[in-house]
Amino acid sequence: MSDITITVQSLKKSFSEVEVFKDFSIDFEQGKITAIFGPNGSGKSTLLNILSGIIAKDGGRFDIKNFNHFEFSYIFQNYRESLLPWRTNFENVALPLEIQNKNKAEIQQRVEELQKLFEFKFNWNGYPYQLSGGQQQILAFIRAVITTPKILFIDEPFSALDYENNLRLREHLQKYYLMYKPTILLVTHNIEEAVHLAEKIVVFSQRPTEVIEIIDNPLQYPRTIQSLKSSGFDVVKDKVLSIFQKSTNL
Amino acid sequence: MKKYTIAIIGPISLIFVWFIIVKFQFINSFFLPDPLTTIQKLIQLLTSGIIIGDLVSTFDRVALAFAIASVIGLPLGLFLGRSEKLYRSVEFLIDFFRSTPATALFPLFLLIFGITDKSKIAVAAFSSMLIIIFNTSYGVMHARKSRILAAKIMGATKMQIFRWILFWESLPQTFIGLRSAVSLSLVIIVVSEMFIGTNLGLGRRILDAQITYEIPNMYAVILLTGIIGYLLNFLFIIIEKRFLHWSGK
Repeated sequence: MSDITITVQSLKKSFSEVEVFKDFSIDFEQGKITAIFGPNGSGKSTLLNILSGIIAKDGGRFDIKNFNHFEFSYIFQNYRESLLPWRTNFENVALPLEIQNKNKAEIQQRVEELQKLFEFKFNWNGYPYQLSGGQQQILAFIRAVITTPKILFIDEPFSALDYENNLRLREHLQKYYLMYKPTILLVTHNIEEAVHLAEKIVVFSQRPTEVIEIIDNPLQYPRTIQSLKSSGFDVVKDKVLSIFQKSTNL
Repeated sequence: MKKYTIAIIGPISLIFVWFIIVKFQFINSFFLPDPLTTIQKLIQLLTSGIIIGDLVSTFDRVALAFAIASVIGLPLGLFLGRSEKLYRSVEFLIDFFRSTPATALFPLFLLIFGITDKSKIAVAAFSSMLIIIFNTSYGVMHARKSRILAAKIMGATKMQIFRWILFWESLPQTFIGLRSAVSLSLVIIVVSEMFIGTNLGLGRRILDAQITYEIPNMYAVILLTGIIGYLLNFLFIIIEKRFLHWSGK
């Protein structure tokens, strides 16, 4: 049994009349990628937002071990709106380190490290609006990991991307994960994405949300395109789908 | 090239209509000289140097009024915009004086500053400042929440969020304020030159030409005032394109 990083107990949260969490509890293990999969409105993003302090809970408690803003990153769904258009691509990526008062040389060094790891090419002096959607998302991803976070929240980061960029970003994410072993919570609508990336897949019920099941995904990292085509992949995917079917009465 | 061809259609049409009106005597040519006469008069005023002193005086006043308005208005706008409550507490005053015609304030400023250049500059600076405060504050208050949130999650302090996010977010709206303010400064300065009185100034020249029935002279100076106003506006558009290339993207 590995260590627990994030504990949630008897969490309560409603939005006006709609009760999302009534008595919700879950633990997340340290150093693992956990995918959160569930029907629309089941509070997947709400959970991440409560845990990161963006919205307040109504009751219950949660704890993130050694939480520190400087070692935590959150990649939003609307990445385009979280990039700063007046900053060059380099300055965008540098922002989290500037906030931590790191000097230019340290920032430069860190960008080069990541550049080596991910083997991407960027026009660092250009601006985000000159990039394609896929490149913007990669930029937002680099910005999120530049601080080497111990905890990384990702909210449907790939949903707006075409399949090719989607696969490319999944590859980057795995590379990063294998190198630094952070705790990653990944909210997704996409079953293939969940099975491709996660070691644990949590399936949520409809509101008020409960955990229906946590599925172990034993596939070896790094998971390549070949893994996507393997029979082991299908086994896990079928299992998730069956449980999801039950939860949504499809 | 095509862009400039399109841009020139408006002015050419105006001059053409003006020409037709005078040519067919829709308006007595004594009260409205034809375009050519007016432009010739303007060139003569400029080349002979008669108008230069007025031009410089008016320009200096506008520049000074605008500078004062910016130096006070920009920091104040940023400061008020940071707290919506604070802005709401002075919103009535800003909107009230913004809606009061500047010309109605002349007597008040004359009492304070006397019949001097100071009162002209002060009225223009005051009115322009309100426009700058209003726009800058709104720019800060309406900053996109998603970017502020992203920085907060990264652990940014309030000051960092202000310097790196809010300030930049407010710039496009601030520039709209600055552009409107520079135009307003010119309007108020010219009007004040007409009504408060001065030895040198384009407003004074227009009024003098009207009183003495030097009609081509009057139109030439009006045209010159318009050209200055346009060039000031144009200058701001250039600055905006250069520094706010990212705006709206």
